[in-house]
Amino acid sequence: MVRKYLALMRLSWGLSLEYRAEGFIWMMTNLLNVIMLLVWLSISKAGPVNGFAQADFIAYYMIGLLVRQLTAAWTSWELSFAISEGRLSTHLLRPIHPIHQEIAINWSEKAMRLTILLPVVATVLLMTPGVRLNVTPPAFVAFVASVAGAWALYFLADYCVGILAFWTTQATAFTNILWGLKIALGGILAPIQMFPPALQAALDWLPFKYMLAFSSEIALGQLGDERVLFGLAVQWGWVAALWLLMRWLWKLGVRSYSAVGA
Amino acid sequence: MMRYARLFGLFLKASFLVELEYRANFAARAVVSLFWAGVTLTGAGVFYSHAETIGGWTFNEALVIIGLFTFMSGFIQTFLQPNVQRIIDMIRLGTLDFVLTKPVNSQFMASLRHAQVFSMVDMLLGAVIVIWACMRLGYAPPVLSLAQFALMLLMAVLIVYSIWMVIATLAFWLVKVNNMAELFTSVYDTGRFPVTTFDGLIRLVLTFVIPIAFITTFPAQSVLGRLDTETVLMAVAMGGGMFGFSSLFWRYAVRSYSSASS
Repeated sequence: MVRKYLALMRLSWGLSLEYRAEGFIWMMTNLLNVIMLLVWLSISKAGPVNGFAQADFIAYYMIGLLVRQLTAAWTSWELSFAISEGRLSTHLLRPIHPIHQEIAINWSEKAMRLTILLPVVATVLLMTPGVRLNVTPPAFVAFVASVAGAWALYFLADYCVGILAFWTTQATAFTNILWGLKIALGGILAPIQMFPPALQAALDWLPFKYMLAFSSEIALGQLGDERVLFGLAVQWGWVAALWLLMRWLWKLGVRSYSAVGA
Repeated sequence: MMRYARLFGLFLKASFLVELEYRANFAARAVVSLFWAGVTLTGAGVFYSHAETIGGWTFNEALVIIGLFTFMSGFIQTFLQPNVQRIIDMIRLGTLDFVLTKPVNSQFMASLRHAQVFSMVDMLLGAVIVIWACMRLGYAPPVLSLAQFALMLLMAVLIVYSIWMVIATLAFWLVKVNNMAELFTSVYDTGRFPVTTFDGLIRLVLTFVIPIAFITTFPAQSVLGRLDTETVLMAVAMGGGMFGFSSLFWRYAVRSYSSASS
């Protein structure tokens, strides 16, 4: 399996090198994080908002940018087009589930984006006075585990939405809505602490904040040990559930699939 | 002039008939539009639960801006996106010849031939939000403000149209202009907020370089009857100037164009 992945990744790395400029502009489209940061800076000009001082907003949105890049997934577009245009047939003939190819593409794109983004984020964090980050080894381990969970969570959710193309021609509408939920409830529009308490309590159990905000909260040291462990449990529970859902949907879909021209 | 108006009517009718073939798109489009309007309004609710005013605008006033933002994104998706995409493809494939050889103004034909009629849902939704905001404010705009608003809206449309046309025209020389359209779309996100939310250089850029302020904030001020005459004159100069430039640029590009097929 490892060798297969290495081969797949070498292929995809070549592809992302070729479209380097595109990757750069793609990252610029993450401007939404910066816009939201500016809006919150404007709101918090008079004083801290729910415990967030200006430096905290900067740290939150910079770490958020990093997490967002590390956990981005866009497979459902490709998958739903492959299904509706019948191109999926070629992939089905290969001796390996198509999801692995998509994972390899996703990872090598990330390596590319990180080499550009990491220096930018580090510079901003170092130059902002009053930034508080939790950099102890246990926090770092928890951060890495939560980012891995966030990536798996969104990737699987997005893949499930892509699979819907077996039955509907409107799968991209669902992609759009899933993405919107991540923006609105995942911590890009506003840090979770800015929401009314009832919504915050509900979000503890829903998957959305575990796609993004949870990791930033760990990095900023806003969560006690208990909250971190609880969060990781909920997050990986959702990952397991979505994995099962994906397998089930895939089996149903492939069974009912008859490609055009095949 | 009459001939062009009639042609435009025909274009609209033809696009509508094509879209009627895909009625499921309409339902999906409407659901996605309502969802995003919900996200934007909820977001505003969250921001305003922490501040009385943002950039000097109260919640109800900011609703006018949100309505205009929604209206203009509907306009972009209905009229600009589909045509600009096609222009880029036609330049690449050499099929622009079929447009250039028609006995009408080539820019008119290339930029208004298609309309994604179902995206008008957003325009409608935006108008409803503006009216709702005025009702919440208990404010009926006087006729003079409405006339000024009509002028400002026309200028906003000219400005957005010109930006998109310049991007499309760049495709005569550059390959990946789609990315620039993406970039505009993400900067356009700032239009959800009063331009006064942003400080210093960024506000200057959003007013004069990528003039988002003229697209949402200033027209909103105009409905509310608090726009000074200088800004109106500036908008007219901006709209006229940019439209003039985009036409000249298009003409220059077409003249120096040798198609891929000839």
